[in-house]
Amino acid sequence: MVTREDVENIALLSKLFVPEEELDGLTKSMQEIIDFADAINNAPASDEGFDCINNLSNVFREDEVVSSYPSTEILKNAPEQAEDHFLVRNRE
Amino acid sequence: MKYELVSGFETHIELQTKTKIFCGCTTQFGGEPNTHCCPVCIGLPGTLPVLNREVVRYAIKAGLAVHGEIAEVAKMDRKNYCYPDLSKAYQISQLYAPLIIGGYVELSNGRRIRLHHIHIEEDAGKLIHRHGDTYVDYNRGGVPLIEIVSEPDIRSIDEAKEYVEKLQQVMRSIGVSDCKMQEGSMRCDVNISVRPEGSDKFGTRTEIKNMNSITNIAKAMEYEYDRQVDLIESGGKVVQETLRYDDASGTTSSMRSKEDAHDYRYFRDPDLVTINISREEVEELRAQLPELPAEKCKRYIDELGIPEKDAQLLTKYRRISEYFDEAIDGVKSPKTVSNFIIGQIFRRVETENDKEAFDVATTPAQLNELVKLLDSGKIRNNLAKATLEKMLDSGKGVLEFISESDMGGMDENALLELCKAAVEGNPKAVEDFRNGKEKAIKALVGNVMKNSRGKADAQAAEAKIKELIG
Amino acid sequence: MGTIAKIHEMLVNKQVSCEELTKSYLSEIEKANPELNAYVCVTPEAALKTAQAVDKKIAAGEEIGSLEGVPMTLKDNMSTKGIETTCCSKILSGYKPIFDATVWETLKSQNAVLLGKTNMDEFAMGSSCENSCFGGAANPFNTNHVAGGSSGGVSSAVGGNIAAYGLGSDTGGSIRQPASFCGVVGLKPTYGAVSRYGLIAYASSLDQIGPITKSVEDASLVFDAIAGKDKRDSTSVGGGNTYATLDNDIKGMKIGIAREYLDGVRDDVKEAVLAAAEVYKSLGAEIVYFDLPILKFALPVYYIIACAEASSNLGRYDGIRYGYKTAHYTGTHDMICRTRSEGFGEEVKRRILLGTYVLSAGYYDAYYKKAQNLRGTIISAFNKAFEQCDVILAPTVPMTAFEKGHATSDPIETYLTDICTVPVNIAGLPGVSVPCGFNAKGMPIGMQLIGKSFGEAQILNAAYKYQQAAPDKFIDTKWGVKL
Ligand SMILES: [Mg+2]
Ligand SMILES: [Zn+2]
Repeated sequence: MVTREDVENIALLSKLFVPEEELDGLTKSMQEIIDFADAINNAPASDEGFDCINNLSNVFREDEVVSSYPSTEILKNAPEQAEDHFLVRNRE
Repeated sequence: MKYELVSGFETHIELQTKTKIFCGCTTQFGGEPNTHCCPVCIGLPGTLPVLNREVVRYAIKAGLAVHGEIAEVAKMDRKNYCYPDLSKAYQISQLYAPLIIGGYVELSNGRRIRLHHIHIEEDAGKLIHRHGDTYVDYNRGGVPLIEIVSEPDIRSIDEAKEYVEKLQQVMRSIGVSDCKMQEGSMRCDVNISVRPEGSDKFGTRTEIKNMNSITNIAKAMEYEYDRQVDLIESGGKVVQETLRYDDASGTTSSMRSKEDAHDYRYFRDPDLVTINISREEVEELRAQLPELPAEKCKRYIDELGIPEKDAQLLTKYRRISEYFDEAIDGVKSPKTVSNFIIGQIFRRVETENDKEAFDVATTPAQLNELVKLLDSGKIRNNLAKATLEKMLDSGKGVLEFISESDMGGMDENALLELCKAAVEGNPKAVEDFRNGKEKAIKALVGNVMKNSRGKADAQAAEAKIKELIG
Repeated sequence: MGTIAKIHEMLVNKQVSCEELTKSYLSEIEKANPELNAYVCVTPEAALKTAQAVDKKIAAGEEIGSLEGVPMTLKDNMSTKGIETTCCSKILSGYKPIFDATVWETLKSQNAVLLGKTNMDEFAMGSSCENSCFGGAANPFNTNHVAGGSSGGVSSAVGGNIAAYGLGSDTGGSIRQPASFCGVVGLKPTYGAVSRYGLIAYASSLDQIGPITKSVEDASLVFDAIAGKDKRDSTSVGGGNTYATLDNDIKGMKIGIAREYLDGVRDDVKEAVLAAAEVYKSLGAEIVYFDLPILKFALPVYYIIACAEASSNLGRYDGIRYGYKTAHYTGTHDMICRTRSEGFGEEVKRRILLGTYVLSAGYYDAYYKKAQNLRGTIISAFNKAFEQCDVILAPTVPMTAFEKGHATSDPIETYLTDICTVPVNIAGLPGVSVPCGFNAKGMPIGMQLIGKSFGEAQILNAAYKYQQAAPDKFIDTKWGVKL
């Protein structure tokens, strides 16, 4: 059962606002999707397990310095910046 | 009722690799804001992490140094939480299959603080709060960390302090981190609970986040211990929560807000592959480990005759023990070297930082030379002490301050000649001594001292004279 | 205009200059795009600059590569330095990457002529292309119908002849499904064959970039060019080298048909696929029927895993480093929540919430962990199936392109569109969608050839032989020409 509280909680974790008036509708549609996902519980039990596709292991880089980007490039797409920092103003 | 403190530590230590854990940016401390960054470490969409091999090796070394078991298979997980210092909204860390399992740190009282595990992860960027606005610098984002998670085995503030110091010592000695708490390369989250003495149940714990000095750890723990005991005594209940310690007021306060309901939703990071660690590699890394501080300390005590307290001081900082090891080469009494270091040199390296760097003008070889002169009896202790001060001031060697003639009086043969002369020139005193007048020998020694212009060793002279007339 | 092979021939023989060719594509885009809505960003200056460079090489008598000077497009989730890359989401509006995706770096170095970036479902989440903040792309066969998704823009552009080829990405069918809807060829490579570096992640363990082309040999050419191990992508393995074996005889090749793949498939689609099986028989291949019952769990497994990974991958859009930022807020938390709530579309939000749910405390074991286990089971079921056959033949989509607006009403019904495509992503296998006929209304039908891990050469070989045997299935579109 997906409850209103579940939806409020996952919305908070997802950093999404759900307007009060949409909460019931969303709870219902989440329940439908979860019911659909619940089908996996009818699957035969297996201990096949899954690690990662192609079972790759030990892919590393060497500890060698590569030039960083200039801060102007790093900050290029920032909605707001100040003094070479990304800036989050307290309010608009 | 008496209460017992129960504490466990989560210690984050920045590794001194050249580059970050998942990209080639430098790990250097400082730097202009956002200049040690690239698309990967600022989490631009589409970028992918590639694990720095050296991070794994450093972590294995750290694990071996604290007697941990090195996993054969390790994996990277994502720890999801959204905060401006975390550029991807998840930290790549390890939960389900960490690199190191178990281990312990042994304290001087013989108790072992068990470790739950050690994992590798990436550091977050730095936030500067100014007038309520937040400035974000990602230079530190992606610097490799190990997180050492202890069991709740710590039972006093002194044990806590020693635990942190021991970790610092060990990690510095194997060269994986400088463990500079003031620069943030070592940070502790301290879990604390209290329980009636004798109880074997755990109380509800609180967690003080991000402590960055041993002094503050002690102060915060003391405050939190008192707060919890007072709360329980007055019929209240400790609430499990995350706390922040305020240095200025010396108090802890809750960090909780409605906004950070935490549920990290850990899952295997699909962008990174499995880490398999061969036993050969573990052994290879084990062989690279230097003698660890605890082993070294024991050896200083047992084999070199250094008092325990001094041995601990010498082994606390890697540079100091290396200095000592070099300075005792071929000397008769390593304890003399230790005395010079602890008695005199330490006065010039007062702060933690200075001791860590141990940047003194006199080289271990120069100290070695000085001690050898003392060993051979060529100079006396007072002169040696005064000379060391001059050496430390100038960086010059012992021969800059003591001439051959200064040492002449000390020469075995010269001393013998002077003693012979004293015996021959004072038959009365010799006679008196032989007749059992012990004090008479003082006159003979005084004669030697006078003729050597104070350079002879009085005890040596007395021994020689007794040999001549006894 | 036409296939890559044809364009290459025309350039080498100086029948057309690269500049003229590029200009004609650009003017076709101008004409057709208002209706197709395939492109969300056109880059004429850069395209013409590259074209001129290619012309110089040709004029100087230098040899040019097979993709050199060929006008193409990229789905808008591949990072292109200095060119807006939005995933067709408001949340990435204005974002210009400071680096190139590996696939684009590779093609750029071969003087590919990028005409622009193409439409998609927001963050590749969708099967109709209608979840795009720019509105959906239209089907070139009938513009009242959707192009499919999520790589709808690429398929529409290639099918509509306003790009010679394009790169799409496929997480649950997003290359094959729109290719099938638009009557073109779409290859989803083996996971790890093509670098994901610079591909804006939807679900990292499922995403894979691949070509959408007019012909099988074009798909082979492009795949061979972009496949390869990339040290910036830890999960990349490499691959390629499919072109040389395209024309191999397939006599004796065992082509498997899993009965489950035909369940619930519309009759016209089923008939076309079974007719293709007959073509294969006539080419000397052997048709083997078998069961793959585990397939019925593929769709929920897919949605659990994809949404879980997406909820994590999409956490970073917070209005601080790039993209959209809300105009009005109080405090950082409020700013982030408003930015995300305003910046993401409904389907993206739905999937983020679902992903957060299946990973959250108390549900992880029942959903995410269980789905991962089933993933292992599905992989071994495919391995077993490939003991009986060399390639698997299946429909790409249970239906043909539906009308616009049809998909949005019920999310689960829409998810069912992916039923034939997701198993390949779950198992990390290669799959190619090949046109295999038209329905009564003239809408194209696609069939899917699924191969063993890194078996691209084999499925492309089978696809090519079919194309040779049934060229009438690969035919005119409204703006098209014969192969
Ligand atoms: Mg940590
Ligand atoms: Zn970096």
